[in-house]
Amino acid sequence: MHAAETAGNILMDNPQVYPEKVSAFSRMLRLEGLPVGPKETEDACRILLVMGLTNRETVKTALRTVFAKSREEQGIFDRCFDSFFLSEEAMRQQAQAQMEREQEMAQGREQAQRDLNLNGQPMELTDGQREIYAVMSEEMRQKLRDFKDRFQESAARNPDLYNNFIHSVFTKTLLEQQMKMEDAGVNCAGLDPELGLMYRDISQFKDTEIPKAISIIENIAQQINGELSAKKKNRGRSGALDFRKTIRKGLETGGSLYRLKYKKKRQKKKHLVILCDVSGSMVQFSEFALRFIQSLNHVAESSKVYLFSEAMVEADAFSLQNMDLFRNFVKESGAYGRGTDLGAALMDLIQAKPPALNDSTTLLILSDTKTVDQAGAIQALREAKRLAGRVLWLNPLPESRWQYLKGASAFSQICTMISCSTLHDLASACRSLSNF
Amino acid sequence: MNLAELKNKMDQAHYIYDDTLATVLAVALELGRPLLIEGAAGVGKTEIAKVMASALDRDLVRLQCYEGLDESKALYEWNYQKQLLSIQVNMASQDRESLTQSLFTDAYLLERPLLKSIRSEKPVVLLIDEIDKADEEFEAFLLELLSEMQVTIPEVGTIRAKTIPFVILTSNRARPLSEALRRRCAYLYIQYPDMEKELAILRAKLPHVDDRLCAQVALAVQKLRSNETILKKPSIAETLDWAAALDALGIRELTPDALRSTAGFILKNSEDLAALQEMEEEGHHCACGGNCGEHSHG
Repeated sequence: MHAAETAGNILMDNPQVYPEKVSAFSRMLRLEGLPVGPKETEDACRILLVMGLTNRETVKTALRTVFAKSREEQGIFDRCFDSFFLSEEAMRQQAQAQMEREQEMAQGREQAQRDLNLNGQPMELTDGQREIYAVMSEEMRQKLRDFKDRFQESAARNPDLYNNFIHSVFTKTLLEQQMKMEDAGVNCAGLDPELGLMYRDISQFKDTEIPKAISIIENIAQQINGELSAKKKNRGRSGALDFRKTIRKGLETGGSLYRLKYKKKRQKKKHLVILCDVSGSMVQFSEFALRFIQSLNHVAESSKVYLFSEAMVEADAFSLQNMDLFRNFVKESGAYGRGTDLGAALMDLIQAKPPALNDSTTLLILSDTKTVDQAGAIQALREAKRLAGRVLWLNPLPESRWQYLKGASAFSQICTMISCSTLHDLASACRSLSNF
Repeated sequence: MNLAELKNKMDQAHYIYDDTLATVLAVALELGRPLLIEGAAGVGKTEIAKVMASALDRDLVRLQCYEGLDESKALYEWNYQKQLLSIQVNMASQDRESLTQSLFTDAYLLERPLLKSIRSEKPVVLLIDEIDKADEEFEAFLLELLSEMQVTIPEVGTIRAKTIPFVILTSNRARPLSEALRRRCAYLYIQYPDMEKELAILRAKLPHVDDRLCAQVALAVQKLRSNETILKKPSIAETLDWAAALDALGIRELTPDALRSTAGFILKNSEDLAALQEMEEEGHHCACGGNCGEHSHG
């Protein structure tokens, strides 16, 4: 094997180290979540010995074939391979890029040190916060500087009070900026665009990404329908012999009862009542979630959709056919852009004539738990739970933030709450909906 | 067979491939693993099996999967009618034991594709098409065949493969396949071909069609596939049909009129046809991408 002949070659000078390197690579893949066993490692060694290491792309494709067994796994594999097997040139480039990045960050921190001072004293910020300041847009940085200049004079009069105030505003803005960067899926955006979209916050989708997201939903819904169809089929047998069908089937084998046929178990019908928050921040998530649930065939026999912000209104089936019709309906209903009163909406639902909730219904709430009159909402939710068979809450906020929201922690104690801020989470929630 | 030999064979079969596909096929052949191919409908998954059969000079045995497929349709079935007749004919026989034994021999065994593929004297290519349409039980049943290259028939015992078939499984990802099945296979995901590859396919399959028309068709298909409002993306086979239809109608230029009158070859539902009309109304007078110089592009 002629290693490192050109810049594109993989660095492995001694053929004796192949198994060792491949084994280390297998461990790395395992740490990244790929189910790689000894058999795969053995296959990889075998194939490298046959195919050689002269062409980087061939080696990558060959190892990908052995180690990655789905499209999602291929994405993880490519990332690991590129960071594990480096050409000399790539190593040099990476080291250079890393050095430049560190220099840039150091300059950014110095710049932040100069910009962020109060009465000549540097503000007490961590290096991480200074780095965030350095990567913020110039517009945002100018806003912060203007804000500081406005309060600088007052700070001289009462340093403790104003310095603390300015410091807290800075810290909050920097934290928000950091969260936004994390939400934007910095890590997954660079991968396959489709997979990136799967793991990004739904409310952050751009208009241009919506058609792609819709087609992803359709594909996943088709997959889930397939899974649920198979499960439903398997649940069928009740144990009792179906004599009529068995005798009829026996005619094919000259009257001998060769294949026994069993009676199917009767499925209890489920009715889904969806209460959907369409206040300003929730409308995009609600659209996607509804689209998802509506495209599932096996979740419920029937479903009713109610939209709410300050008041509640029932959505007709026609308005749920596509996103444009849904948006028009939400706007015409007057619910769009208002505040949220979950308690009032739940009370309307409880008092609906004819009754919307009974013991065969599953109440599904799509909301971020931000509502006025929380005490009223908690009481109404308890009452709704008593009337409905089951209550499930799909919350677009990540679970890590629930502890900071009084509503989320209180509601999650009354009913099952699932965090689903991304399409991936939403798909998992929809899968569990069928068993709920 | 090494990579260079495989490429040579595929060239001889006039198959248009890229390096990734050739490498994956070579790896699967070298390791003797089944190859699981996933991708959208119409990207050419099944075609790979046909080409491999031709390249390896083997017979193609095909098992088309569907909901409810069971081992009697996939592996074997006893010929009940023949068994019953035999019982009637030999009713007077004294040796009941040997009669019973004779009923479960090859003479009464109906071979289905899986059994046929492993009992063949010459190795074959076994295509298990659209495995995602079969039930999970069937997937579990396949595990023994794929990993041990043997099957078990209760009345006969375990049958080991006389020759090892090259197994290709295809899936449209209508449902996720089990981890156990995936782990036993080499994996390939294929996407729709890019413009260059599609044009090469058109040239190879329809050498008599005008090259300029092929380029316009390939570009139009690329544009239709990249349009998110088109629900059912045109497949490679549909592209070939469309180009052949245009040629048969004597059309040498993909004008808006030509596109409208033959759109049924490439778009197969009313929503997609309406989306095409919308594209035209928005100013894209034709999907030729500006390659045709003789008409307006708005």
